[in-house]
Amino acid sequence: MHHHNHYYGQTHILARYCGLDDEHPPRIRGYLQHGWNVGCGWNPVHEFFDGAWRYTWTDANRRRGHALGRRNYHVVGAPFLYLMELEPDLGVVPEQERRGTLWFLFHGWEGGGKGGRIEGDHARLISEIKETETEPVTISLYYTEFERAEVRRAYEKAGFEVICFGKRGWNYEGTDRRFLYKQLETFRRFKRVAANRLSTAVFFGVAAGCEPAVYGDAMELEGDNPVFGGQARIARLWPEMLGKDVDLAAARATTDVELGRAHLMRAAEMRMLFDWNPRD
Amino acid sequence: MTETELPPVVRGELQPWTDENPAGGPALTALLADLLPVRIGRALVAGPHDAGVLDLLARRSADLTVLVRSVSDAAALRDRGAVVNGALDGLAAENPARYDVIIAADGLDRLLGPDSPALNWTERADLLRGLAAPGALVVIAVENEFSITGLLDRRPAHERHGDDEWRPLHDDPRRPTSPAQIEAVFGPVTHRYARFAAHTLLDSGALRRTRPGFPGARLAMAGIAAEASATPLLAPVTDAAEAAARAGMLDAVAPGWLVVLGPAGPAHTAYTGSLTADLGADGWRIGDRAVPDAENAETVLFRLAAAEDVPGFRACAAKLGELGGGAFLDEIHDFVAVPTGPEIPLAAAWFRFRDRLVGGHRRHPWPPWMADGDDLVKTWLAMSGVEPTAEILEAGRALAGPAEDKTDLRGALAGAAAAEQTIKEQAGHIFGLERTMRFRDQQLRTREQQLRTLRDELRRLKSGRAVRAVSFVGRVTRLRDPKRLASAVKRRAKAFLLR
Repeated sequence: MHHHNHYYGQTHILARYCGLDDEHPPRIRGYLQHGWNVGCGWNPVHEFFDGAWRYTWTDANRRRGHALGRRNYHVVGAPFLYLMELEPDLGVVPEQERRGTLWFLFHGWEGGGKGGRIEGDHARLISEIKETETEPVTISLYYTEFERAEVRRAYEKAGFEVICFGKRGWNYEGTDRRFLYKQLETFRRFKRVAANRLSTAVFFGVAAGCEPAVYGDAMELEGDNPVFGGQARIARLWPEMLGKDVDLAAARATTDVELGRAHLMRAAEMRMLFDWNPRD
Repeated sequence: MTETELPPVVRGELQPWTDENPAGGPALTALLADLLPVRIGRALVAGPHDAGVLDLLARRSADLTVLVRSVSDAAALRDRGAVVNGALDGLAAENPARYDVIIAADGLDRLLGPDSPALNWTERADLLRGLAAPGALVVIAVENEFSITGLLDRRPAHERHGDDEWRPLHDDPRRPTSPAQIEAVFGPVTHRYARFAAHTLLDSGALRRTRPGFPGARLAMAGIAAEASATPLLAPVTDAAEAAARAGMLDAVAPGWLVVLGPAGPAHTAYTGSLTADLGADGWRIGDRAVPDAENAETVLFRLAAAEDVPGFRACAAKLGELGGGAFLDEIHDFVAVPTGPEIPLAAAWFRFRDRLVGGHRRHPWPPWMADGDDLVKTWLAMSGVEPTAEILEAGRALAGPAEDKTDLRGALAGAAAAEQTIKEQAGHIFGLERTMRFRDQQLRTREQQLRTLRDELRRLKSGRAVRAVSFVGRVTRLRDPKRLASAVKRRAKAFLLR
């Protein structure tokens, strides 16, 4: 029902999982979490209409939302995990052939007129990446940074390959519904996933078999709302995910929790949950 | 005794009068059969009791006296033995020979008449026990004024009782209303059973030790529910009973007790209907079934649903599916044989669970559009590994029976609040849909603008020099080819004529 549900083609993935049209997916009756965060699954000032159901990736989001006075949650797990079920072979290479680091720069957003640009010392970050990574590095920029020539060029000049997975869309326009497909396909040929903030991409990378690393200048986001506790809270809650050499087993366990692997459901159940079955 | 001959009368008989619902039933009769010696000398049954109790006493006793205050009741019983018609004080005044067994399983509230002195509960108990021989077996029922059903009764105190309250029997400070007060009146007792409606008697010790969802509590809950079915309630008894069970106080809030004084035979832990149950070190034996003394599935599932722990719920449902059966999701009732495969009892169990979960306004993580229809049952059956076909759902619903439709005050208030909430949420839903439509309108405008732009570009392209040149070249080419020119003229002429 909310256009955020279409971000990254997540509703499209779930519609496909349910055996429905994934080009023009049916409306979800409520809000689908579209990215990992330290709060209830949405940004601190996200609007919700009365009685809306909220579909989160993990139970922690539900609990934090409950503490904010919000109800009507159902944990469904991350659509990325459903995509992995739908595409078990997409981009898969033999384990020994996985190579390099897919490095995600913390990204800004469209802003909706409220800012949303990131600011930080890219040169310093580039130096740190070069010092740390031992295999070829590919930098993934979200389009908000990819289209900022000064940012993109900084990484290109440093000798990194720079890629962009596309746009998540806005108001149902410009959604690249293959966004996560491309990301999954790419993850499956990389050995490591890294980022300068613990973020959705890191968890997706771990789920797709990458070793994670989180290091470097976390940078500032214009108009960032620290009401959920910001980076300090992330360090308190998920220390096992931070650093240049992360314990893989611990990271995988945390990733399963944060992406809600235990909450994945069958298609028939999801169709009823989303009210996607035709009513006579 | 001829038909016209009436039983002997002592002081205090009542007419016209009938005491409805005499004490009895299979549970009481079975307990008395265990407690009483096989051969009894003199026995007194005081107050209204049913034929089962009277027949048992008649079989075992050499000399049975039945005391009833109603003249018509006494006349109806005259073939059952030595019936005495009148009040307890009247019988005591006759100074009869002492009795070896006294049964007052109906309690001490229907033993006096309007002409009797205003004896309080303790005085009536003393008067009755005064008729017992030394070492006699005495069984007395005690009503509990502090019962859950009494506490949640929505009627004012003066409207709860009938015509026999010519004196306010229940406003009696001497009436024992707790296990401790019973002991204070009688001293140590041989047995005490909590009494639930007519069909469940449960040993007080076992009841104190049970916890919510355990077989002992389930037996008690079934009895409380039966007791509550005849009482207009402020709130469902379930929540209060579960809280009492958690506190180890189910015995203290039972509707009443049956107190056994003096030498009695060994008895079972519980009597329910025609079934007996025993609690031992290795769990319960209910009828011929061994039942572990553990929480039932329903309690576990309620807890998982309240915690919104769907993975936990799913695992539990899967386990139930592996076990098969389960029309009630508890071990107490599941002895009921069902002449079908395991899918239908399981569907029935899920229907009952849905009725109790939703009807009880319990917390759970599923949206209302799932709770209203069969979607929840379908979801849970699938979790149990059963494909929820229309046939299984229909048969399961039929086996489960209709959902209980009993409205209490809290339920009515909760229903009104839920309706209000639904209206608010529907308004929110409309707002959300309108907002979506606004986005979609914007999307349409964007697309339309794109189409207009494309059309303009096409128009510009068509009127451009390059397109004009290409078009000119095409025409010239046709003119240079007579066959193509002729067929083009022919085609146009045909189109003109057909217009």
